[in-house]
Formats: sequence, structure tokens, C-alpha cells
Amino acid sequence: MIATWYSIVSFMLIVYVVLDGRNFGAGMLHRLVARTPEERREVVAAIGPLWTWHEVWLVGFGGTLLAVFPRLMSSAFAGYYLALFLILWGLILRGVSLEVGGHINDHLWHRFWDSVFVFANFLLAILFGAAAGNLARGVPLDAQGNFSMAFFTDFRAQGYVGLLDWYTVSIAIFAAVILAAHGATYLTLKTEGLVHDRSLKWARYLWVAVAPLFVVISIETWIVRPDLPGHAIYNPFCWLGLIMIAVSVIALITGLNSFREKRAFIGSNLLLVGLLITGSGAIFPVMLYSTLAPGNSLTAYAVASSPQALALAFIWWPIGFVLATVYFLLISRRYVGKVTINQDGY
Amino acid sequence: MNSIYDPAFWSRLQFAFTITYHYLFPQLTMGLAWFLVYFKWRALRTGDEKYNQAARFWAKIFGLNFAIGVVTGIPMEFQFGTNWSEFSKYAGGVIGQTLAMEGMFAFFLESAFVGALIFGERRLGPRLHFLAAVAVATGSWLSAYFILVTNAFMQHPIGYQIESNGLLGISSLSAYLSNPWAVIQFLHNQMAALVTGSFVVTAVGAFYVLRGLHQTQARLYLRAGTLTALIASFLVAFPTGDQQAKIVGRYRPVTLAAMEGKFTGGSMADVAVIGQPNVAARRLENPIEIPGALSFLAYGTFQSYVHGLDEYPEDTWPDNIELLYYSFHLMITLGTLFIVLMALATLQSWRGRLEKSGWLLWVLMLAFPFPYIANTLGWMTAELGRQPWLIYGLFHTHDGYSKVVSSGDTIFTLIGFVGLYFVLGLLFLYLVGREIWRGPDEEKVAFVKATGLNQSEVSPA
Repeated sequence: MIATWYSIVSFMLIVYVVLDGRNFGAGMLHRLVARTPEERREVVAAIGPLWTWHEVWLVGFGGTLLAVFPRLMSSAFAGYYLALFLILWGLILRGVSLEVGGHINDHLWHRFWDSVFVFANFLLAILFGAAAGNLARGVPLDAQGNFSMAFFTDFRAQGYVGLLDWYTVSIAIFAAVILAAHGATYLTLKTEGLVHDRSLKWARYLWVAVAPLFVVISIETWIVRPDLPGHAIYNPFCWLGLIMIAVSVIALITGLNSFREKRAFIGSNLLLVGLLITGSGAIFPVMLYSTLAPGNSLTAYAVASSPQALALAFIWWPIGFVLATVYFLLISRRYVGKVTINQDGY
Repeated sequence: MNSIYDPAFWSRLQFAFTITYHYLFPQLTMGLAWFLVYFKWRALRTGDEKYNQAARFWAKIFGLNFAIGVVTGIPMEFQFGTNWSEFSKYAGGVIGQTLAMEGMFAFFLESAFVGALIFGERRLGPRLHFLAAVAVATGSWLSAYFILVTNAFMQHPIGYQIESNGLLGISSLSAYLSNPWAVIQFLHNQMAALVTGSFVVTAVGAFYVLRGLHQTQARLYLRAGTLTALIASFLVAFPTGDQQAKIVGRYRPVTLAAMEGKFTGGSMADVAVIGQPNVAARRLENPIEIPGALSFLAYGTFQSYVHGLDEYPEDTWPDNIELLYYSFHLMITLGTLFIVLMALATLQSWRGRLEKSGWLLWVLMLAFPFPYIANTLGWMTAELGRQPWLIYGLFHTHDGYSKVVSSGDTIFTLIGFVGLYFVLGLLFLYLVGREIWRGPDEEKVAFVKATGLNQSEVSPA
């Protein structure tokens, strides 16, 4: 049951990253792929009216984490205190700039909110990337399972680490690049004309940059957590993830080279899912690794709620999931295809 | 306690500030959502374009309001972990259930349809657009139910068990979800949200009548607004508010004593219409009282015994009795004035004289902030009344904060929120003010301009 809940919680976070990741990516590239106000509206329209639905995956993840792994939420959220507030403020700025940016037809107004939007998306991509790096590297958990962390300490990835060190910074950079590539691929699918062409150009550059960075962070991860590859070999999810990565690379390369945007975008989603599944499979059952003493690490088994709470949540969660998917399909099929501006606000 | 060096104090203040600010937006969302459903339904049934115009105008304001509600809502859930980690660890297995259900059942529904409701009129067609309004309204009310179940558990915990590791676990999901406290609190709170929504609709109607603009729309807002406001204001007081006070009296007499400033118990207990609690001297200053009213209201007969604070150890008293007392009493005063005002407005409307009653229109136009104040006061009563407990009788507020977070960190983030929310508030008022200033008719012109379509092409045949 606990392993199932670990998978469900990981699944929710992965769905969030894949869905909102493309919005972060499109947002980071906003000013590069779109030069005129009309083109910028096209990018915002491509992000579309379902961005709050995407964000609900993060809220749903938070709630579910509290219900099934309360001790993890308690330890991690308090430990990441300031970093989490930066994420929250980033999400506020991102949401507000998306919603009010188009409200007044004035070039200074547009320019201001466009800049806030780009800044917030960069901040979020970097912070979520650093957070992922922290999950892999671990945090200075004490024997009680608590920690409190500085933004950075001596930039080494052992002992009393900070939020940022050489390892988490490189994961953050990798995250920003791969999410930008993901967003650019999405924009090629949703836009036409100049925005499409610039997005395609950026998608190609960025995916080319992802490849060497991926090799670098793989080696780095192996240096920081030499135990992880050993775990991964015995976890079928990691194998599934690796297969997804292999398939997605082919889909991406052929898709981007033959202008089959849908195939490329599916590849892009699959690649992110594959990476995240491999990662979450490799660290299991540890949810928060201690850089001070491996014995202090919090495993899924140690932080889970009572078996009864897990069983009860397992009754309603699938129903909620099916309903959420139905709503999404009902609305999103009305928004298939390239966006055309000047018909709705979006 | 309550010193600036106490991290719990700052975490309480931050949660109080962020939740109070956040709730300014959902209360309008939940009230306005049913107006949108009503306008869309009338448009579908009658084919009268004025209802579509009304829906389009209010959807704009709804959209802005919803957006600020979303962005200020996400920090609320996160703060359970960041600032109240000991509480999350202790009670997460119970309260996490409803927080997660809120996301799965309410937020997904709301967020899937809200964009379509605000921007998708043409894309969705009239029938699906109406259903989008219903979906958003249902989602917002469902979300309130899950949050109120969570809060009701903190007010009156049931359906739980204490596990072998000392943490709370859930024993009965159905008992937890059907907590009588939650049902009463939900009905009371939702009626109060309708009061806010209908006062806002009324105020905009009054504003247009006074300016002599958009007469058809203004009449519609005034009629729908005042009637809803009268019914909702009445239901807030009776039976929902009455039942809410009774359930407090039944399960938590010490809270009722503090809300009413009763330092000594007795039968034939009075309700103070005016009075100031003096906690140090254990008495109510300058009271003007209605004899026996409290005994009757709380327990059904004038002879009923009402407990006083002196019967309980001082460390079980709410820790800010004065503020609790003022919040509760001012809420009731405002609620009563709402009924009187809206009864007058409905009477004038029924006599066909509302649009000529200049003074009444002025009052209606300026009255819209007061339901926000009353809602806030109601929540202050609920939350201050729960003190000194985080979960009543089970878990002290002072045990719930994050031990690893210093007061300085919390002051820093609190100041950050104050600054950011101040700017958000200005932005919201400016943009909503602008929409109201432009009014519904220009909205229609903008729609035609943007779509290149005539209204007849998009309105139901």
C-alpha cells in the first residue's frame, strides 16, 4: 500500500511538472519567440485557459502528501521554508501576469507584465530544478527527521548542505534548459507563422543542449549518490523510465526534423516522464535522504499515515482522478489545434 | 506567549493575514457564481440578450476575482507544512484527507471550466457554456465544504483515533465528512458568501442607476441582487447562524461564554447589545442588555443555565476574549442591519420605487464592503473562539508551529506577503473598477469587435 501511495504521489508531481513545465518553458522563451504584441498574445493563448487546471496538480499533490505522508510534508516544508515561499511568490507573480497582462491595451502595461512573466517562469524553473536536485542529493536531516537549511553553505554536496551547491545548481540549470526545450516544442505544436518558426529553432538548439547536460548530471548524480544506480537496477520502474527516455529521444529527433510537431511534443512529454520516473524509482523507498547520516533518512514506510488512512484515501482518490480527467478531456478537446488570436481572450 | 520572540505568534499572524486576505476573494466567487448560473439559465430559457450581457459583464469581474483567489489560495495549503509542521505531522492523516479531496473533487472541476466560462462563450456554445457556469459554481461550493469539514474537525473533532505512535488517524471517513458542526458551518458560511455576492451585484446596479447609465442592466442587477440579498441575509441569521451559536453552546460552553463576555454563569442570562469586556476585572463594562435572551437563544428556554467563564480554568479560555467578543457582536449587528436594509430595498422595489429612491440607492451602492467585514468577523469569531486549541481539546495551538523555523524567518515572509498582497489589492481594485466604469454595454461592443460577430450569432436561437 505504501509503495502504491509513493507511486501515486510521484505520479501527481510528475503530471504537474510535465503540464506546468511546458508553461514555464513557453514563459521563459516568451520574449524570444514572440516580438510583437500579437505574437505575445499567441504565446499566452497557447498556454491556454487550463493553466489553473495544471496548477491544481501541485495543490492536489500537496494535499495528498499531507494525507498519506504527513511526516514528510512536515519535515520537508518546514526545512525548505524560505525556498518554498520563493516558489509561492513566483507562482503568484506568474499567475497574476498571465491573467492581468492582457487586460489593458497599452504597450507599457504589456511590456511590464511580460517581463514579470518571464522572470517568474525563470525563477520557478530554477527553483523546481534545485528542489529536484535536493531530493536526489539529500538534506541535513537530524536524528529526529528535521532539518533547516541555508540557501547555500560551502557549495559541497556533503554534510551541512544548503539549498544550492554545485550539484543542485547544475540540476537547476538542466531543469531550466529542458523545460525551455519542452515549452518550445509545445509552442511549435500550438502556433503558426513566425512564432512557430522561432520556437522550432529554439526547440532544436535547446534539445541539442539537453543531451550533453544530461550526461553531465548523470555522472554528477553518480558521484553525489553512488548508491542510486545500484537501487535503480532492481526497480522495474527505472527500466520503464529508461525505455521511455529511449523512445522519446527517437520521437523527438524524428519529430523535430520532419516537422511532425505532435510526435515531437509527445516525445518531449515522454522524456520528462521517463526522467522523473527513473529518478523517483531510484530513490525509493527513501523520500528524504540525510546528508549527515544515512540512518536519519526518512523512508516512505516511516513517514506514512496509518494503514486505515491509506486505505480510505485509496477509495476516493481514483474517483477524483477519473473525474478530473473527464473534465479535462471535455474542455481540452475544444482547444485542440493551433491557436488563433482575436476570437477569445485566450 | 504572544511576544514578538514567540515564533508561534508570528505563524499565527501570518496564517491569519494570508487566510483573511485570501477569503475576500472566494466569498465573492461563491456568491457571484450562482448569479452567473442564473443569468446563463435565463438567457437559455428566454433568449433575452440582456441576460447574456449581464453574464458577460459579471464573468469579467468573476475572472479577475477568481484569479486573485487562486494565486492567494496556494500559499494556504503550503503553510500547513511550512509554518505548522508539528500540527501537520500530528493531524495530517485526518485533515490531509479533505485537503486532498478538495483538490481532486473541487479544484479540478472549477479550474477545468473557469477559463471556458470566462473566455469560451463562442467556443462552447450556449448550452455547454451554461454547464460551465454550473460546474464552476458547484466546484467552488464543494471546495468550501471540504475546507469547512477540515475546519469543523479543528472546532469539534470526530471520526478520529489516536494511533500507537501518538499521531491522529482517521477511524471513520463518513463520520468525519458528516460532522454536524461542518454541515451547520457550511450552510452559515455559504449564505454569508451569497450575501457578499448579492451586495456587490446590488451596489453595481445602484451605481448605474445613480449615474443614469445602462438602465436595463442596472434594473436587472438591482432586482436580482436585492431579492437574493434579503433571502441570504435572513438565512445567515436564521436558521444557520442560530444553529451555529447553539452548537457552540452545546459542545463548547466556555467559547460561548467568551463570545458573550459572560464571566459568571446563571439562568435568565442576558444578551449584551452594547458592552465592553474587561477581562482583568472579570466584568462587562457599560452593558445594555436584553434579559434572558441568551438563555433562550442558546438553549431554548429563558430559564436555561448559561455557563460563565469562572467555571472553567483560565488556561482553557480563548486567549483574546475582547477581540472575540467584538468580532461576534459586530458580526451580529451588521447581519441585522443587512436584513433591515434589504427588506427596505425589496419593499421599494416591489412598489416600483427603488430606482427613484436616491438615498436608498446611495446606501445600497456604499453598503457592499460591509458583508466582507461581516464575513471576516464571523471567521475571527470561529478561529479566536477555538483558541487556545488548534484541534479543540486535543492539540494546543502552541504545540503546532514549526520548531525549525525562527520568528525572524516568519516575520520576513509575513512582510513579503503584506507587500505583495498590497500590490495585488491595488491591481485588483483598479482593474475591477475599470470594468465597472466601462460597464456592460461597452463590453458587448468589445465582444462584437473582438469576434466580428453579431450578438444574434452567438445568442441562443
